[in-house]
Amino acid sequence: MQAAFDLAEAGIKVCLVERTLSVGGRMAQLDKTFPTNDCAICILAPKMMDCYRHENIEVLTFSEVIAIEGEIGTFKVKISKKPRFVDEAKCNGCGDCARVCPMGILNKFDMDLRVRSGAYVPFMQAVPLIYALDRAKCMRCGLCESVCGQDAIRYNQKEEIVEREVSAIIVAIGFDPFDPSGLTEYGYGKYDNVITALEFERLICAAGPTGGHVIRKDGREVKRIAWIQCVGARDTRDNRPYCSSVCCMYATKEAILTKEHYPEAETSILYTDLRCFGKGFQEYVNRAEDDYGVEYIRGKPGEIIEKENKNLEIFYSPSSDKVETLEVDMVVLSTALIPCGGVEKFAEILGTELDGYKFFKLKDPYNPTETTRAGIFVAGYCQAPRDIPECIAHGSAAASRAMEVVLGGSFL
Amino acid sequence: MTEALRIGVFICHCGTNIGGVVDVPAVAEYASTLKNVVHAECNLYTCSSDGLESIKSAILEYELNRVVVASCTPRTHEPLFRATCEEAGLNSYLFEFVNIRDQCSWVHMHEPELATEKAKDLVRMGVAKAALLEPLEELSSEVIPSAVVIGAGISGMTAALSIAKNGFYVHVIEKEREMGGLLRRLYKLYPTEELADLFLEQRIKAVAGHERVELHLAASIKAITGYVGQFKVVLDENGAEKSIDCGVIIVATGAKELDPEGLYEYDGERVITQLQLEEKLRRDDLNLDGLENVVMIQCAGARGEVVGYCSKICCMNAVKNAKLIKDANPDINVFIAHNELQAYGEEYELYYRAAKKAGVRFLRFPLETRPKVRKRDGKQVVDVFHDRMQMNIPLDADLVVLSVPLVQNPDAERLSKLLKVPLGQDRFFFEAHVKLRPVDFATDGIFLCGTAQGPKDIEESISQGYAAASRATIPLAKGYVLSAAITSWVDEAKCVGCGICESVCPYGAIEVVDTEEGRRARVTGVKCKGCGTCGSSCIKKAVTMHHFTDEQLIAQERAAFATEEVVS
Amino acid sequence: MEEVNVIGFLCNWCSYAGADLAGVSRFQYPPNVRIIRVMCSGRVDPELILDTFLHGADGVFIGGCHFGDCHYLEGNYYAEKKIEMAKRLLKVAGVEPERLRLEWVSASEGGRFAAVMKEFTEEIKVLGPIKFDIERLEAVHIAAADYKLRILATKERELLEGGNKYGEVFTQHEMDRLLDDMVQEVYESKRILLKLKKPKSVKEIALDLNLKPNEVFRHILDLRRHELIEIHEIRDNRPVYIANTREDVE
Repeated sequence: MQAAFDLAEAGIKVCLVERTLSVGGRMAQLDKTFPTNDCAICILAPKMMDCYRHENIEVLTFSEVIAIEGEIGTFKVKISKKPRFVDEAKCNGCGDCARVCPMGILNKFDMDLRVRSGAYVPFMQAVPLIYALDRAKCMRCGLCESVCGQDAIRYNQKEEIVEREVSAIIVAIGFDPFDPSGLTEYGYGKYDNVITALEFERLICAAGPTGGHVIRKDGREVKRIAWIQCVGARDTRDNRPYCSSVCCMYATKEAILTKEHYPEAETSILYTDLRCFGKGFQEYVNRAEDDYGVEYIRGKPGEIIEKENKNLEIFYSPSSDKVETLEVDMVVLSTALIPCGGVEKFAEILGTELDGYKFFKLKDPYNPTETTRAGIFVAGYCQAPRDIPECIAHGSAAASRAMEVVLGGSFL
Repeated sequence: MTEALRIGVFICHCGTNIGGVVDVPAVAEYASTLKNVVHAECNLYTCSSDGLESIKSAILEYELNRVVVASCTPRTHEPLFRATCEEAGLNSYLFEFVNIRDQCSWVHMHEPELATEKAKDLVRMGVAKAALLEPLEELSSEVIPSAVVIGAGISGMTAALSIAKNGFYVHVIEKEREMGGLLRRLYKLYPTEELADLFLEQRIKAVAGHERVELHLAASIKAITGYVGQFKVVLDENGAEKSIDCGVIIVATGAKELDPEGLYEYDGERVITQLQLEEKLRRDDLNLDGLENVVMIQCAGARGEVVGYCSKICCMNAVKNAKLIKDANPDINVFIAHNELQAYGEEYELYYRAAKKAGVRFLRFPLETRPKVRKRDGKQVVDVFHDRMQMNIPLDADLVVLSVPLVQNPDAERLSKLLKVPLGQDRFFFEAHVKLRPVDFATDGIFLCGTAQGPKDIEESISQGYAAASRATIPLAKGYVLSAAITSWVDEAKCVGCGICESVCPYGAIEVVDTEEGRRARVTGVKCKGCGTCGSSCIKKAVTMHHFTDEQLIAQERAAFATEEVVS
Repeated sequence: MEEVNVIGFLCNWCSYAGADLAGVSRFQYPPNVRIIRVMCSGRVDPELILDTFLHGADGVFIGGCHFGDCHYLEGNYYAEKKIEMAKRLLKVAGVEPERLRLEWVSASEGGRFAAVMKEFTEEIKVLGPIKFDIERLEAVHIAAADYKLRILATKERELLEGGNKYGEVFTQHEMDRLLDDMVQEVYESKRILLKLKKPKSVKEIALDLNLKPNEVFRHILDLRRHELIEIHEIRDNRPVYIANTREDVE
């Protein structure tokens, strides 16, 4: 969005293609952001609206790039607009369809912690606020059509292929959280109360599935939580030796938020190296320890065992070569953030190379937004792990390269 | 107001969203009885194309000079209705929005009569304000199509070249005689281990050689005045005074190493800093055959010792230098005493492992018990408290290298005052928003990049250089900036020049200046964001906040409950 | 319980958005509040708040951004102090300061906004419709426009944090005492000014307001110096004063 906005403000026309139903990306799923503890959606939503309403930006949501021809200065991009089964021009976001739809489906945006109906928007602040029908689960019962005041339901809507001619392309497809089910020692998917950090984010979010209450599967609110760092990261086993860069800080944030909601709760972060290198990070960690009483324990757990009362016992080895245990009622796995599933296929469409870890490869390590194909630039996490301000700067950086192409006729 | 008010009110059903709770026709009926209202109607969806047409034709037919729409929320739809008014020839600031959905029908769903009464009250309040609205214009101010970049380090050079490529003239101001900044002192860069000199040479050539870049070396800044689009920078270039007019300014003044005077037995000879080590490596001055033991100490002066922050790059920089020493002479023992190890991101973990493989030894100490340096027989011993083993390890060291943090340049304070931009708690320049606007200052037209903003590596400095270029190109490419119409204005007859308004404005938009009548506050419209803090602080009530004037707000609140005066 | 009237001034970027979110999420709350949008909570002037109480409001609510979130960076810090000033003025006028409430609500706190509206409306219902002595409330209303109180309300934050021009930092306790004293001073002065809509002598005013004559006289001198009052006539060897109604003097 930042890249699109900069370009649009400079007078350049932009087509912004987003795979999901709404712009906003992962930041919309967060409750707050470190180290300022800003409310994520509050500071994000104006940017989403700015982008959507900008006269120079065409936003295509629920769309994917399927083919690219040509070269820098004269790309021809084919985009598939997937059918929402709702007439975008008519839908006014009133939500009447969602209220009558009988289907209940796990909402991906809420990390499957909440049910949405078959007629839905991914979250209430979605931009555009245009509903969609979940075709896979739709029964065609016709209730939504009958209540829609705008006559916007279109059961027979088809995929639409559109073409755009552009001088440059920017790829900013973000990341996926690593799925820790394969790491059996942590019991994710097996034990009731082992969750991932992004799931925790949805729980603690005031607009989330539990209204900001951190609740276990048995309905009890948490009293003791532990975060486990480097889950799936810095791991040579699975070819993921890199550090996701943001997990130490997001765990600190989640622990602080927990303490704000539950001042009596005990919060522990089990880490290997504490990555507190950014602006304000060390001060944030100091606050967490001194003001909030968050406990930092150096020692990566070897095993987690579920007890009868569904509490969890963590076995870890701190500095003193002993094995210690910590009993908690919830474990949050600070999972690695990894390149999106399906990125290899997308890179093929783009004609750009990926590196060994599936991040977009740079032509030159000191030109941080240039991919291996001239005219295609990359921004954000999909090129390398970075936090929000770094992603925004990177987005602007990619925009400046694209500006050079359009304004300066620079074809390097 | 010389002409008679002719207010049109449009109440929206929003399908059943409003109409299902609020008796919309009754509200419209009521609206038509209000003073100055000459037309009131209901729409099913005022924002639909026929709703908008209805507004436009009503403006023409009833010669409306104020429009009130009561529907959803201004946060999404105000721009749309304002644009509609403008299309019908009515100034867009003569439009008022009344929220009867998100803040009425949707939250009082089970109390339709009370919701209807509330809607009537809200409409009455909106009409009362609309009666006092004045037309406002967004003023356009030209942007001089050139930029000034302060600092010719890697981020400044990156920004300058990018802006020049976009077609704009760039003045690069550098206080030293040579370009390159801190990079001039480096030997090799991590993780590629390429030579800093070669790396820098290419880039300096590209920047200095560009036809639209003008260099000002050995220059210091004397004064900066103006605002976005119209800055004037006065400098002393090598003894001569020069004045540059530009549209945007980028601060890329870099950082310097902390001077570890008094720490760890620092003497600049046997106990040195990493940059001093780099210089020795560059000059091949290290006597690698004579060295036996090198000990590097991380976080020297950082993370609670002298400065509070972590300087991000010292860990990897030490790893690089350690590895280079090992590669040059594998017989030298190289130790890095560290606390956390900041090997973040994609490549640094692997580089760290490569250093380990090359034989660099890492010892972790707890932050509460930092290493101590003792001098002994012309050499040093570094006592490192080993965290895992919980015991002191004394390390012999011919050479001790302190990884000190980057700190702000001493002249930054002066520059921050010249530009009227803030420094943060850590003394680095403070950006507009820590999360969302990392390379902007709160003041429009001034941008920031590189280590001047905070410690960072070369790749990130380059990224920020490009980012600042992108942000700076926006006003340059547009050619103009619009001052928002919702700004403040000072009645100089009432103003006494006390300066309280100036002290509360975070944008420097209202300043006390010399006038013929004496010292008075004046607003630079282009800088004002319309928050109103100056207005509520003014001791003489001399400040008017356009579109949210005292009179308008008073009219709104008085109309909320008192019905008599406002009904015709 | 009787119905009560509540006015809410909400800042555009956070609390107004939070109120909208409450609507989007259909969180219900009592329909007693009438909302007025301002761009920033820092816009809210104590004078405006007191005018609102004078014109039918039983409760006034101000919504702003959490500290650090203010769209205009620092407006909410100033808002906090101005509203504290307004509370002091309410108290000295004999109105319950709890009728004025300041709350930070972010754009994502829809549920919280509705909860706060419910809670505040309940509180006001329990307090009941506002009762005030119009002279006293009018006095603090014009006191809020007085330059002394406006300076203090704005400078309070700076004095507490950064210190004054001598580098002396005030403690909250010292600040409270200073402000309470000033509020009392200015309030008395304005009450006297209002009384002088009709000609009165120092003795008459002292009796009316239950103040010592020398206290009244101190205010009279100050009011005269600012040309807010003048001598009307001499009666029984005593000066009788009257408020100045000249147009060019505020």
